[in-house]
Amino acid sequence: MSSEPHIFFNEVNERQGVFHRRALMAGGLTALGVLGLSGRLMELQLVENNRYKLLSASNQYNYRLVPPPRGRVLDRNGVELASNRPTFRLLVSRDEVGGNVDETLDEVSKVISIPADKRKQLIRDFTQAGRYVPVVVAEDLSWDEFARVNARLPELPGVTPDMGEVRVYNFGGAFAHVVGYVSKVSETDLQHAAEDEDQLLLHHPGFRIGKQGVEKSLDVMLRGKSGGQKVEVDARGRVVHKDPGGDVKPTAGKDVVLTLDADIQNRALEVFGEESGAAVVMDCRNGDVLCMLSAPSFDPNSFVKGVGGKEYAALTGYDHKPLFNKALTATYPPGSTFKTMVALAALENGYDPNIVHVCNRAWPWGGRVWHCDESHGAQNLHGAIATSCDIYFYQCALSLGPNKIAAVAREFGLGEIFDLGIPGQKPGLVPDTDYKKRTFKKDPVWHPGETPSMGIGQGYLHLNPMQLAVQAARLANGNKAIQPRLIHSIGGVLQPRNETAPDLPFKRENIDFVRSAMAAVTSGNGTAARVANLGLGSILMAGKTGTAQGRNYAGGRGVHGTNGAWELRDHAWFIAFAPSDNPRYALSVLVEHGGFGAGAAAPRAREIMRVTLLKDPEIRAMIEKPLPMPAFPQTDPNSPAEGAAPPLPTDANGNPVADPMPL
Amino acid sequence: MTASALTRPGERDRLVIKIGQIDWTFCFLVCLIAGMGGLMLYSIAKASWEPWAMKHMTRFGLCMALLLVLALVDVRVWFASAYPVYAVAFLLLLAVPFVGEVSLGARRWLNLHFVRIQPSEIMKIGLVLALARFYHGLSAAEAKLSWKLLVPAAMILVPVGLVAKQPDLGTAILLAATGGAVMILAGLSMRLVAVGGLGAVVAVPPFVLFVMHGYQRDRILTFLHPEQNPSGAGYHILQSKIALGSGGLLGKGFGLGSQSQLNFLPEKHTDFIFATLAEEFGFVGCFTILALFAAVILIALRTASLSHSHFGRLAASGVISTFALYVFINAAMVMGLAPVVGVPMPLLSYGGTVMITVMVGFGLIQSVRVHRYTEVTSGKGALV
Repeated sequence: MSSEPHIFFNEVNERQGVFHRRALMAGGLTALGVLGLSGRLMELQLVENNRYKLLSASNQYNYRLVPPPRGRVLDRNGVELASNRPTFRLLVSRDEVGGNVDETLDEVSKVISIPADKRKQLIRDFTQAGRYVPVVVAEDLSWDEFARVNARLPELPGVTPDMGEVRVYNFGGAFAHVVGYVSKVSETDLQHAAEDEDQLLLHHPGFRIGKQGVEKSLDVMLRGKSGGQKVEVDARGRVVHKDPGGDVKPTAGKDVVLTLDADIQNRALEVFGEESGAAVVMDCRNGDVLCMLSAPSFDPNSFVKGVGGKEYAALTGYDHKPLFNKALTATYPPGSTFKTMVALAALENGYDPNIVHVCNRAWPWGGRVWHCDESHGAQNLHGAIATSCDIYFYQCALSLGPNKIAAVAREFGLGEIFDLGIPGQKPGLVPDTDYKKRTFKKDPVWHPGETPSMGIGQGYLHLNPMQLAVQAARLANGNKAIQPRLIHSIGGVLQPRNETAPDLPFKRENIDFVRSAMAAVTSGNGTAARVANLGLGSILMAGKTGTAQGRNYAGGRGVHGTNGAWELRDHAWFIAFAPSDNPRYALSVLVEHGGFGAGAAAPRAREIMRVTLLKDPEIRAMIEKPLPMPAFPQTDPNSPAEGAAPPLPTDANGNPVADPMPL
Repeated sequence: MTASALTRPGERDRLVIKIGQIDWTFCFLVCLIAGMGGLMLYSIAKASWEPWAMKHMTRFGLCMALLLVLALVDVRVWFASAYPVYAVAFLLLLAVPFVGEVSLGARRWLNLHFVRIQPSEIMKIGLVLALARFYHGLSAAEAKLSWKLLVPAAMILVPVGLVAKQPDLGTAILLAATGGAVMILAGLSMRLVAVGGLGAVVAVPPFVLFVMHGYQRDRILTFLHPEQNPSGAGYHILQSKIALGSGGLLGKGFGLGSQSQLNFLPEKHTDFIFATLAEEFGFVGCFTILALFAAVILIALRTASLSHSHFGRLAASGVISTFALYVFINAAMVMGLAPVVGVPMPLLSYGGTVMITVMVGFGLIQSVRVHRYTEVTSGKGALV
């Protein structure tokens, strides 16, 4: 063979033949390949189409949580105690500004001011937040600022203006203890709410959870149900499109209506001034709590944003304890207000109210001398209540023993926890011989010497202002053991009121006796004769003062009156009801370390009762005399207007006052 | 077919006759595929000619012109330039490790100042030409099994090794497979093919474990277990399958493919453009495009068979083998049947280099067709 290949004809044909066969094979392989690929395509696109469609949709669409508007808290007249206001804020996510956080903040601060320390905080936030998690750069912008930012938005890439809602408490401190407040969700809150339905909402950065009062106890109902905004996102999770058709509307939280009256509550806060204490007003006919105030108070709005360390330290460090709901949580000895209970117990047990004891300021008994404020002379039961004579009640109580007094006191709600619907009640204590047996293992016997103290509302006795208000309300009602009621309705559904309240197991004449004695307290030579004058003409208030020893005079050197250090002074009490002849409203006022009941508590009670009465249209009609008719100018201006000439249009409603709610 | 003019030596050199001999059906199908590519690129740029569709179509237009010019180049010129082209490509490949530019972690490019070239692409044509040239001088028996076959084996393996070293696994596989295809088409013993195939299968696991780069190995392992790492290395395959599967029978509609429009699909305009097409046009669109590709391949194989010269047959079939491998590897990869290797879908994917390679190859195929009766006599490559 030469180096030049000799290509013979048959060989040429052979090479060609081999190629043709192989090419045919290649063609066949191609067809097979296409068939194979088509088979795979059928599997993916036709058989498993639904599965991949779902996967694609879950890639493409996302639901952004839309938090529901929180339910409002309203007073009995529909005044908003807690509502929501729009807030404008600016969000920046690190990813969208390409990491140029500093530059972006510079640009933003050209439009709205960012203080230096706030900026430092923001930089820290940015480093802590995830790459895609937006950081709130500015909050609570004014409309002007927000509009300015929106106008310059093209120059501010990566800055997103956002509108949300924030809780607002319109009356500041007045309702802080009852309504409570909302605040950022803590780890503990999450654990407690682990069973709740809307877990995503709890993790929403704008969501706030109820921490106190109504906001806490009715939190789940106030929350509502969050909605979803259907958005189309790209692979990096950024919103490309909104799809309003696919949105799920959020369901607003339920509105809660309280039995409180904003005017009364505000007046109560006003009259307390700098003093510490509590006031509770009830409608004694149906148990509605018209006012429940604890003073001093705090601004719940600052808790919504997150209260600063300094402010919080000031609130917790202040000896007047503004964060405390003194109407429910703090218990004090009731002092002389308790004499109403002792007197009723005595009457119920056949005690003759005409028994006279003589008061000489001092009464030796049981190996020691018992004291009284002044020398009241000879008095019967009625007079002893009016002048609040301790020496009379030492002896009156001794004749009864602790158990009979305690039994009556409990019928009036003392020592009881009521179904108010907000947390924080402390039951206090109404002692009896059983209590001593249970509690004092070393000295389980009730000594006779402990009874006189109980007779004047001291000793083991300690109660909260709510209980004293219930006591006053039941006395004023006279027939029914009414329960206090704070929540009027939730989402339009009325909460049960006192339709089925049991009768008070006392003779009506005995209750009337105590009531007339309480009327005497505020008249003649009663302890609160001048200070409890309502100044509303024929409408009078009946009540009972109390000056409770917070400290032992002998040991702790407690101070009578308003002398000496604040924390050593007596607690001042006043319980009352009005109108005294046909009671509608009852109240209790406590002024912590206020000195004398008549000096510190009664005048405040008077002001609160005045506004309560003036808010009642029927009472108002009785006070405001109708204009004399032109045809009969001789009409006696002093006669009450009821059923007489047509009164002023504002007074014209003849509706029964049983439920003055317009709701 | 009567080609009387073509059979007359004087007549067949006339330009008009030559132009008439170009396979216009073939060209039309190629245009259809490239047009489809332009359409998809327009769609994924959110209905915009920028940045891809316009360039793609312009390039294709220029390449089509090049194809037509190359179709008229005498097959003997191709024959004569076979070894020189291979030699140049080989030298450039050798130069890459020393003066090449690094791009995306691999040294593949040569910067000649006026143009950046990828020697491995020239090699795709060069290898086919050189192999066809070599086999042209071999008898059927020698092509079946002889010591002379060590020459084409070396011609294939050395450049494959160089390319794999860059590293460019996709092109290396493509080169090796193309070379193998030419050898088989030339008549390699089927027994040897079977043994070789078996050997390759056995060699794969140790190759994957010991020779491959980490990222290449990851791709293979991910291919085997894509669900293990859906957001990491398995992301490509998973998103591609979602795009395909969600397309259904008729697709989501032009410009409405959420997977590609919203960037869930990676490399949607290059390697994964088939998934984009599948999402927007569904099974019908996919099958149509696969049928077009198959038609192009089959027509080219027939063109190769028509050639009277062994060089022409092997050159045309070699070129179309490269093309077919591109298509099948890419389609298999997109459908999750093959590991992710950087092989684009020819004519559909955006990218100039592959487009030039493929269209030059098609020019060669058309040249083989136009000059199918031309005698290529000399093993030495004389023009006449």
